[in-house]
Amino acid sequence: MHMADALVSPPVAITAGVAAAALIVVASRKVSQIKREDILPLMGVMGAFVFAAQMINFSIPGTGSSGHIIGGVLLAALMGPWAAFITLASVLIIQCLVFADGGLMALGCNLINMGAMSCLVAFPLIYRPIAGRSLKKGRVMLASIAACIVGLELGALLVTGETELSGITALPASQFLMFMLPIHLAIGLCEGVATGAVLCFVQSYKPDMLYRTDRLYENPSQPKKMTRKSKVVLTVFAVLALAMGVAFTWIASSNPDGLEWSIARITGDTELAPAITPATALMPDYNSTFSGVLGGLIVVALLWGFCSIIFRKRHAKA
Amino acid sequence: MPKLENALISLNSLSRPAAGKVSAPALLVVTLVYLVAVLSVPLYAPQRIVWLAVYPVVQSEMSGIGFARVFGKSLWVLPLILLIGIFNPFIDTQTAFTIGGVAVSRGWVSFFSIMLRGLLAVQAVVILTMTAGFYDMCHAMRRFGCPKVLVTQLQFTYRYMVVVVEEAVGMDRARKARGFGRNSYPLRMWGRMVGQLLVRSYERATRIYRAMLSRGFDGTMPLSRPQHMSGLSWVFMLIWVAVMLALRLINISQLIF
Amino acid sequence: MSHHYIQFKDVRYAYPRGSEVLHGINFRITHGEHVALLGLNGSGKSTLLLQINGLLMPTSGQVIIGDIPVTRKTLRIVRQTVGMVFQNSDDMLFMPTIGEDIAFGPRNMGLPDEEVTRRVNGALDAVGLTGLGDRPAFTLSGGQRRAAAIASVLSMEPNILVLDEPSANLDARARRQLIDILKQFHHTILLATHDTDMALELCPRSIVLYSGKIAADAPTAALALGEDSPARNLFRTPAAPALTPTPN
Repeated sequence: MHMADALVSPPVAITAGVAAAALIVVASRKVSQIKREDILPLMGVMGAFVFAAQMINFSIPGTGSSGHIIGGVLLAALMGPWAAFITLASVLIIQCLVFADGGLMALGCNLINMGAMSCLVAFPLIYRPIAGRSLKKGRVMLASIAACIVGLELGALLVTGETELSGITALPASQFLMFMLPIHLAIGLCEGVATGAVLCFVQSYKPDMLYRTDRLYENPSQPKKMTRKSKVVLTVFAVLALAMGVAFTWIASSNPDGLEWSIARITGDTELAPAITPATALMPDYNSTFSGVLGGLIVVALLWGFCSIIFRKRHAKA
Repeated sequence: MPKLENALISLNSLSRPAAGKVSAPALLVVTLVYLVAVLSVPLYAPQRIVWLAVYPVVQSEMSGIGFARVFGKSLWVLPLILLIGIFNPFIDTQTAFTIGGVAVSRGWVSFFSIMLRGLLAVQAVVILTMTAGFYDMCHAMRRFGCPKVLVTQLQFTYRYMVVVVEEAVGMDRARKARGFGRNSYPLRMWGRMVGQLLVRSYERATRIYRAMLSRGFDGTMPLSRPQHMSGLSWVFMLIWVAVMLALRLINISQLIF
Repeated sequence: MSHHYIQFKDVRYAYPRGSEVLHGINFRITHGEHVALLGLNGSGKSTLLLQINGLLMPTSGQVIIGDIPVTRKTLRIVRQTVGMVFQNSDDMLFMPTIGEDIAFGPRNMGLPDEEVTRRVNGALDAVGLTGLGDRPAFTLSGGQRRAAAIASVLSMEPNILVLDEPSANLDARARRQLIDILKQFHHTILLATHDTDMALELCPRSIVLYSGKIAADAPTAALALGEDSPARNLFRTPAAPALTPTPN
């Protein structure tokens, strides 16, 4: 589910990035309101835990294959949605920056698809109403399964939307969805059962972990004042994201290569103009494609040889 | 689980000091500009993406990593984008151009573009990862206005990753020692093992909190101030941004060929 | 604050929803004394240590540090006076670099930057980690991490040092270095340990805890060697053939 950079276009990536940034700002505010002071070390270690848990595979009965959890609903059940979102965000950011897993431009998309959908949508809307506060094992299990499926399906829906909007795949959206949704239904079922299994373990061996989270929700210090502030932030960012989305779509639709078009307009540079692909032309000159690629590759290869000779000597000396 | 052990190895190898002399904010800006440049090239113009390979090639050699290593590390992304891109040649069969009588469809051109941009984008991020230290990147994020809660969280999680993964490796070895020969767990057992890891992590968090309290923690984390960006970093950043804009905006293939 | 003493007055403690762990503890450790706290696993050593800087509050009785009773209001001053070194160094080194870990306490005390830097360097020198301040904790060896954990407490310049199992998981050389570091500390030390050899070397006096009660409070040497010592089973049996003179 980690989206790679290759699958997004800058407008989609930037719009999602702004939206994700807004959620992070709001979540940070919410977390700093939490009265429990041990929330910082708790979130930190839980991030490390999720990172490790994602690498421990369970076998999927009857298929011979294995899967792992993403952990959004699990974290939310332990720490509440906002702290869980920040925690999962940190894991995704580290996977991107440290392990180059999931693209840097696609980070905003990934934060929303995997983080926000499970922690901020599926948990409060699905898990909490079903599980309630009873902590009965059956209900916890049912709630985990339902929340994980909903979270993952929403995520899959967004992945499809983002890829289609980026214009990467020639596959029509409906077919792409038919391909994504059933797979994620199965994955969601597994993740749900796994999440439920862990929560049931915690419930029987260290129930106070769950009880203490229960109290967390009721605890913001000055609920009304701060909530309004968060709402303002959220609205501002939402408007910004929407505006960017609309602007980008407009540029993109009126002009597939809007960046060059606008630069040429601004500079009025006539020398630059012929070098730019005619924006509105339906068929750019493909005859130059092959020779262009070949020529480019040759030049880059020469450059590599040149650089490696120069810099290797210098690095060997140092 | 080999995955866990691999993660431990790469975490430990990353603890070495960052390879480059350029500071993290500059690297982060250059990487982002580069990604926008690569990803904004239309899919039907691979001849224009190729030129952008200049950055990973030159930068990886300049920082002493070597392009071959970066290229090798970027290959893992191929299967992932193959899955999405592979439909294009079958759906978009309109002929784009012919070489020696063989017609190449638009689908293949866009497929090639997707692979190319996938590789280049990952290469740029790999270079960023290998040249800027993680904590320096946290400082860079703080400088760009990232909330303090998130920065603290990133540092905490990164700090305890090695510790928790080591714990998981230990538990996993204990299981292996009692032998089932399987590489994944039946769900019930998985739940117990991950649950145990969770409880241990939770207890660790309590102990850390106690250690923090004993040293006068009052709810706010002191964050060290980010360092100033060196002149070298500014020069680095400005030159690369200029180069990328030039490569992106000027169709070199058309100028030369 | 000239009196760096620790006093426990009939301290009892029960965990919430649990049974009582400490059943009326009384002792007094005066300024400059080095005292070992001995006892089997689960005898209440760690719980007792947590009472000293108010991480746990006694259910009844009183803990007094210097002239100050430990209450919620005095926590700040008590925690500056008492430096607590925990069993697991990883739990104490939570910042990006050990330099920042060592600066954590002084910064929380609100000291100015130059003073913080001075203290960090002083603490690094004191534990033999000079120049390693900008290393992340996980690049250090177990012994170095233990030293860094102690430095992170020394930088607060505490009057009383409390340590929980400081020599656990250390190799012989790191253990020796640890003992040397602790010998340099001239204020009060209370250390809980199973390492009775270290106790013998560092602490003239020992308090033995047995299921939540003080079983003995006596000179360490007497506890180790006395025929009817209540703590005889805590000390390792001497390697008999090497130590007892063999009759010719």
